[in-house]
Amino acid sequence: MPRSSQTSKKKEDAARKIRDYYVSREELSILNEKLVRLNQKLIDAEQMKSNFISNISNEIMNPFTSILGLSRNILEVKKENWKKVIAMVAMIHSEAFNLDFQLKNIFAAAKIEAGEIFPEISNVDVKSLILDIVDGFKYEARKKSLLIACSFSNQNKEKQYYFHSDAEKIGLIISNLLNNAIKFSKEKGKILLNIRVKADKLILSVQDFGKGISKKNQQIIFDRFNRTDSGISSVFRGHGLGLSINKAFIDILNGNCILMTATGKGTKFVVTLPRMEGEIEGITLEGNELFFKEDLF
Amino acid sequence: MKFETEESIIKHFLYPSAIIVSTEPCEITTILGSCVAVCIFDPVRALGGMNHYMLPLWNGNELESPKYGNVAIDKLISKILILGCKPRNLIAKVFGGSEVFSNQNNTQFHIGRGNIEIAMEILQDKKIPVVSSSLGGKFGRKIVFRTHTGEVRHLYIKNEHIRQ
Repeated sequence: MPRSSQTSKKKEDAARKIRDYYVSREELSILNEKLVRLNQKLIDAEQMKSNFISNISNEIMNPFTSILGLSRNILEVKKENWKKVIAMVAMIHSEAFNLDFQLKNIFAAAKIEAGEIFPEISNVDVKSLILDIVDGFKYEARKKSLLIACSFSNQNKEKQYYFHSDAEKIGLIISNLLNNAIKFSKEKGKILLNIRVKADKLILSVQDFGKGISKKNQQIIFDRFNRTDSGISSVFRGHGLGLSINKAFIDILNGNCILMTATGKGTKFVVTLPRMEGEIEGITLEGNELFFKEDLF
Repeated sequence: MKFETEESIIKHFLYPSAIIVSTEPCEITTILGSCVAVCIFDPVRALGGMNHYMLPLWNGNELESPKYGNVAIDKLISKILILGCKPRNLIAKVFGGSEVFSNQNNTQFHIGRGNIEIAMEILQDKKIPVVSSSLGGKFGRKIVFRTHTGEVRHLYIKNEHIRQ
């Protein structure tokens, strides 16, 4: 081999080695960065957990205290002041409604985390389910003089709005979206609910014209315990579980969720759920297949 | 001794990100693509349970659900230990983790492989022997686990669409 080609080969080798060295250094630094970020996340998660307990005990104790106080006041109202009672009853209802809603979310989260959640499929009357939920939020909306407008459409050209899915989970998904929409709407605003039933999917959208979600917060709103604003002065109540429960439920129902938002203009969540069968298609649960000896483990 | 007929066995379908542990004779069926299912069985107490997870590691953001391997395996083991089983008696069988997506040009993710690795790592860490397994490959699987005998029946699912 001529000498010149030998030296050029050596040069090439050296160049490659240097290149490899830099590549591996770069990789290492990327990995390192990831590790640092992960560590920070773990610390944050721990922090959130301890915040969560104090948050939750507030969320449960405050409504209880006010319910107790208000009902005691009602008991002591004199006959001539009966009119005051209605206002107090409205407050009791509002507190109890909130408490019930928070507890439902907390129990749902506990069930998801324990792995005890399954789709329970039935033929759901979507329209009456949604109208029931909207009716439940009526008083909350009235407090801020909000208008909740529902529109339904059915591509199947049927009068009824039936869809194969899990009623309880759809109910909580809509409740959480509606609750957020009410919370972040301005006074005298409007909330639009649009429900479309198609042959193989159900599209639910909830739109408000409130403060919207900033780019930074769009990344974290589905995370558990994360509230876009927290702290003692926060006007918004809640523990930040709602949307993470929604995400888990939508996963279980094989659906997806799209978020459209602009700061100051409002937010729109569109949830698409596929039609579900009781059993997974093409796979029977009866053990009537032939299993051979080599299939036993 | 109670005589067990085929009818007396409870049948369950295990959905992704769920865990089932049963003290009663029970037959748990599940369908696996890139997901992994770990079956844990206690031959002494003759009971067991199974999980079905989709991704290897919990990211610390979402709910700490058994959708993630590290969460699902820990929770399955603790659910079985709560029933009074001794850790040293437990045995494990691991299934799934196939690369069903490999024809879709996203082989760089290797979800199946990650799922298998996390199972092996945690089980080794907990000193639970993996007595049998059917892992990897390109096909989905149907698994039927009998919690009272520890027996697992296993079928490949070919040319069928799988959800995950």
